Amino acid sequence: MDWGKVKFFLGEVGRNFTRNAGMQATAIGTVAVTVVLLGLFLFVRLTLTGVGDRLLKQIEISVYFHTDATPAQENHLRDVLRADQRVTSFTFVPKAEGLKQLRRQTQGSIDVSMLTQNPLPDKFRVRVGDPSEVSAVADALRGEPGVANVVYGKTIVGRLLQLGVVLRRVSIALIVALLCVAAIIISNTIRLTVYARRREIAIMQLVGATATYVRMPFVCEGVLHGLLGSLVALLILGIGKAALWSKLALALPWLELNGTHVALLPIALQLLLVGVAIGALSSWFSIGRYLRT
Amino acid sequence: MISIRNVSLTYPNGVRALDNVTLEIAKGDFLFLVGSSGTGKSSLLKLLYHDAIPSHGEIVVDGIRVDKLRGARVASLRRHLGVIFQDFKLLNDKTVWENVAFAMHVTGAHTREIERQVPRTLDLVGLAHKSRMFPSELSGGEQQRTAIARAIVNNPKLLLCDEPTGNLDPENTAEIMDLLMRINTKGTTVVVATHNQSVVDRMRKRVVRLEDGRIFTDEERGFYYLGLGQGQVLSG
Repeated sequence: MDWGKVKFFLGEVGRNFTRNAGMQATAIGTVAVTVVLLGLFLFVRLTLTGVGDRLLKQIEISVYFHTDATPAQENHLRDVLRADQRVTSFTFVPKAEGLKQLRRQTQGSIDVSMLTQNPLPDKFRVRVGDPSEVSAVADALRGEPGVANVVYGKTIVGRLLQLGVVLRRVSIALIVALLCVAAIIISNTIRLTVYARRREIAIMQLVGATATYVRMPFVCEGVLHGLLGSLVALLILGIGKAALWSKLALALPWLELNGTHVALLPIALQLLLVGVAIGALSSWFSIGRYLRT
Repeated sequence: MISIRNVSLTYPNGVRALDNVTLEIAKGDFLFLVGSSGTGKSSLLKLLYHDAIPSHGEIVVDGIRVDKLRGARVASLRRHLGVIFQDFKLLNDKTVWENVAFAMHVTGAHTREIERQVPRTLDLVGLAHKSRMFPSELSGGEQQRTAIARAIVNNPKLLLCDEPTGNLDPENTAEIMDLLMRINTKGTTVVVATHNQSVVDRMRKRVVRLEDGRIFTDEERGFYYLGLGQGQVLSG
């Protein structure tokens, strides 16, 4: 290992980087703004899908028996539920228990004490792990003997699932657009720094530097832009979240933000990677036009 | 050393810089390319270091078909020849030492080799005591000597000079030409494109005169003819 070479190379990168502070700040700032936007967007998307998933997980299927259903039929259904891999949990609610719950829920508004007999059937409350399988499970249960009716928030489930699909498509389109805009802006900024050094590039090639040799310091510079820009962006995002999260949770209680888990570390790493890639690629392409051979 | 056969060069804008030029230059030769501005002197040099590609004909430098080279092979060619210019083309934010060392760095030379070769070369051009200075702190002659040091630090077999004394006073001009002579006597082939009549007339080397992109005269131990009528020879 020739440390002199390493030192020379790092010296070149460092020299270029410190020479034109204004331009460097512009490039880093552009990366930072892009990554902040991207981060905000990813964060909102993750939060929304998190909220949606949680709502979906709360969806319950109620399986009502005929009033004349036999205990054997009810036990059979219990076995069916136990065997079904998609079902995560279920509870049996006998009609007496159901009436008690009804009393509690309707306290004051309807006087159920006037009832001379219990009109409610026995029922099972069933939870399903994967929200997209709720309707399939419900349909299967509908055919079991003794079952009178199967009820779940059909429209809600449908809408939430649909929302998830739309959200995913829109977000992919937006991310792609955002990345394109960022790449264009950054490559233009870097093109300016390259333009300012076109004479130097010509001289390097004149004394026999290969295209790759000329490129490497610029690409490293791009990586530095990306890295520093992303770090600045992450800092801004971090501060923003710390300052606004609790206020947002208070302002929008129905979102139940505090109960929603958003994995921040993977986002941060993704953003860092995206920033570095944008920096490196736009440098690589910006310098291309000044390399004559 | 150099073989140029039936070479024509037309630039993309339609200007015909060279028209069917054929020229042989032997190893160790010292040759002046003369002629008024725009007759193709610089273009001819550019073809030799692949800064331009001929539209027709072939160019061989030290056994290599230069006109066929592309990409990394061009870089490799340029490491084996030195080029100097009227405007020196030094990197202004690097010291004399760094400018010269840079030409070795790009060849991938080992640091120890660089540290041995650069002082030797600076010594040869008489700039050892100014190695830490920046180009802006040097006189024109010193800048050109730095450029020469950079051009010869990789021990090229061929040194191409495009108006090397164009920006220099007579004293510095004489010094630069002395230096080029010394480099030539060590075995390097030297080709100098110049307007400078006194330099050409004093040195009495081979003189090739270009007119309108063609070779007009080619004389051993020749003179510079200066618009006094074609073919007229000034006595020296």
